[in-house]
Amino acid sequence: MLDVITRNLPFLLAGLWTTIHLSIWTIVGGTLLGAVLGILRYVRFPVLGTASMLFIEFIRGTPLLVVLLITYFALPALLGYKTTAYNAALLGFILFTGAYIAEDFRAGLRSVRPGLIQAGLATGLTRWQVLRFVIAPQATRIVIPSLFNQYVRLLKFTSVASIIGVTELTGAALLINARDFHPVTLLGAVAVTYLVVCYALSMVGRVLYARFAVRT
Amino acid sequence: MSEAPIVEIRDLHKSYGATPVLRGCTMNVNRGEVVVVCGPSGSGKSTLIKCVNGLERYQSGSIKVEGIEVGAKDTDLPKLRSRIGMVFQHFELYPHMSVLKNLELAQVHVLKRSRAEAAERGRQLLKRVGLEAKADAMPVDLSGGQQQRVAIARALALDPQAILFDEPTSALDPEMIHEVLQVMTELATEGMTMMVVTHEMGFARRVANRVVFMDAGEIVENAGSEEFFSRPRTPRATEFLSKILSH
Amino acid sequence: MNYRFDWTPIWEQRDLILSGLWMTIAVSLVSLAISIVIGFVVGTGGASGSRSARLGAALFVDTMRNIPLLIHMYIWYMALAFLKLPAFACAVLGLSLYSGAYVAEVVRSGIGAVRRGQMQAALATGLTRIQAFRFIIYPQALRIIAPSLASLFSQLIKDSSLASVIAVAELTYEAGAIEGQTFRTFEVYITISVLYLILVTVASQLVMLVPGARNDASSARFADA
Repeated sequence: MLDVITRNLPFLLAGLWTTIHLSIWTIVGGTLLGAVLGILRYVRFPVLGTASMLFIEFIRGTPLLVVLLITYFALPALLGYKTTAYNAALLGFILFTGAYIAEDFRAGLRSVRPGLIQAGLATGLTRWQVLRFVIAPQATRIVIPSLFNQYVRLLKFTSVASIIGVTELTGAALLINARDFHPVTLLGAVAVTYLVVCYALSMVGRVLYARFAVRT
Repeated sequence: MSEAPIVEIRDLHKSYGATPVLRGCTMNVNRGEVVVVCGPSGSGKSTLIKCVNGLERYQSGSIKVEGIEVGAKDTDLPKLRSRIGMVFQHFELYPHMSVLKNLELAQVHVLKRSRAEAAERGRQLLKRVGLEAKADAMPVDLSGGQQQRVAIARALALDPQAILFDEPTSALDPEMIHEVLQVMTELATEGMTMMVVTHEMGFARRVANRVVFMDAGEIVENAGSEEFFSRPRTPRATEFLSKILSH
Repeated sequence: MNYRFDWTPIWEQRDLILSGLWMTIAVSLVSLAISIVIGFVVGTGGASGSRSARLGAALFVDTMRNIPLLIHMYIWYMALAFLKLPAFACAVLGLSLYSGAYVAEVVRSGIGAVRRGQMQAALATGLTRIQAFRFIIYPQALRIIAPSLASLFSQLIKDSSLASVIAVAELTYEAGAIEGQTFRTFEVYITISVLYLILVTVASQLVMLVPGARNDASSARFADA
C-alpha cells in the first residue's frame, strides 16, 4: 500500500520543496511588508497610514482562497498582465500574511511603555531614532511568538495554492491520486508531513523567543 | 553673577481639553541652582517639568532654555534636550540593552561620539554612581535604587547644562531612597543645575537653594528654602508642610 | 488599464450569489456550534488537573491544528469516501475539527485566567465540580475569551471558502461558476470579497453580545489580580 509513496517519492519531494520555498519567500516578503505597514499605522503616517489600514482591513476580511483568485485571475485581467500560478500564489500569500503581520507589529510597537519613549526623547534622540533604537528592538522581540504563529499558519495555507494549480505538496499528492487513486495513503502521508514541518517551525519560534525575549 | 537663567518660564498655560493643568506659571532656574518643585499630587508639577524639555506641549506663555524658546516651531528639540538631562519616576531604562549600552546610546547617536569614547565615559559615570561592576548587567537584574542611579548616569553622559528630576524617588522602596538622594546631593555640591520635582522635604531643606510650591496648576510660593520651611507665606503651603512633615 | 467594468452580469446572477451566501452562513454556523462543543470539552480537559486529560487534549490540539484545513476536507471527502458522507457534512466535519482545536486552546487559556481561588470557593460552598464549571468558571472564562472567540468565528467564515473544493455550493464556489459563465473575473471576486467582509464584520460584532464581553479588559485584569 505504501508503494504509491515510494514510487512517486521524487515527485512528492519536489512538491514539498515547492511548499518550502514558497513559504520561505512569503515569510521574507510578508514580514517586510508587515513591518512597513505596521510602522506606517503605528506612527499614523499621513495618507499612507490610512491606506495601510484600509488594505489590512480588506485582506483580513477576505478568505485566502479569494485573495489567490484575485491575484491569479482578477488582478491580471484588470491590469492586463500575465502571471504564473506560482507567482500569483506568492503575491497573494505575501499580501495576505503581510496584512496579518502588520497588525502583530503594530500591537508590539504599541506595547512599549510611553515612559521609555519619553526617556529616549529626553536624551535628545529624534522620533525616528527612538523608533529605531528603543521601540522597534523591543517590539521585534515581543512579536516573535505571533510571527511564528503566522508562519505556521502560512505554511499550512500554502496547500491552498494547489487550487489554482501550483504543484506544491498538496497539489503533487492530488495529481498522483488522480492517476493511482490511493487517497488514504497519500493524504495520510501529506497530513503527517505538514504536521512534522509545522511542529518543527513552531519549535524554532519557541527557541528564538526563549533566546531573545526581553525580561522586564 | 548676572548671567541669564538656564530655564525661564513665563506665564505658562496648559490644559487637557477643558481641564486646566497649568494656570500662568512663572519661574526661573539659574545656573548652579538647585530648585525643588513640590506640591500636592495633581498640582501640575510633573507636567511643568515635562514642558521644560518639550515632552509636554503648552498652549500659551513661554519657556526658554538657554535663551531658546522650547515651543517655537523651528526649535531643534533633540539638540535642546541633549543639553538638559532628565530622570524619570520609573527610571525608564531601556530593558533590551545592558546598563552600559543604555549610557552609550544617546552619546553615539545624538552627540556623535565614537563607541569607544562613549563606553569610556559611560564606565566613568557608572563608577561615579558606584555601579561600575554592573556595566554588563541588564536593567531588570538591578534593584530600583540601582536602576535610578544608572538613569542619573545616563543623563550625565551627555554632559548636560542642567538636569530635570521628575519624582526620582517616589517609585522606590524606602531603603533605596537614600542611595539615590546621596548621588543627587553630590551632584548639587559639585554645582550641577537641578530642577527637582519631589516630596523629599529633607532633601529640599538640606540641598535646595529655592523651593517652588505649586497647587492646582499655580505657583503659590517661590522662596529660598530656608525661608520656605521656616516662614511659609500662604496657608496652602503651611497646610501642605504640616501634612507632609508629620509623616 | 484597458479593463472595461461591467457589473450587470453579476446583478443578473444575484440568485446564485445569494444562495451561495446562505450556504456559507449555514456551513459556518453549524461548524461554529460543533467546534464550540469540541473546544469546551477539549479545552476543559487541557486545563484540568489530570495529566492524561491534559496530554490527550494537547495531542488533539497539536494534531488538528497542524494539518491544513484543505487536507482535513479532502480526508473526509476522498480518503474516507466509503463513509459516503454528503459534501456538506465533510466540510462541516473538517471545519469543526480544525477550528475546534483553536477554540480548545482559547478555552484552556480562558479557564487558566480565572482565579484558582474561584474553583476552591465554589467547591467549599458544596457545589460539585460540574456545577462549579457551569456556574462559576465558564461564565467568567467566557467573558475573558469572547474577543478571541469572535476572531476565531471570523476566521471560520473565511475558512469555509475552502469547502468549494469539495463542491459545496457556497459563496466562493458560486463565484467560480459565475466567473466561468460571464468572464467578469474582477467584478465577481471583488463582489464576494465585499460580501465576506460584511459577514466577518457582522459575525465579530455578534459575539460581543456575550454578557459582559465588552468589559473584557477589566475582567481580565480582575482575573490577574
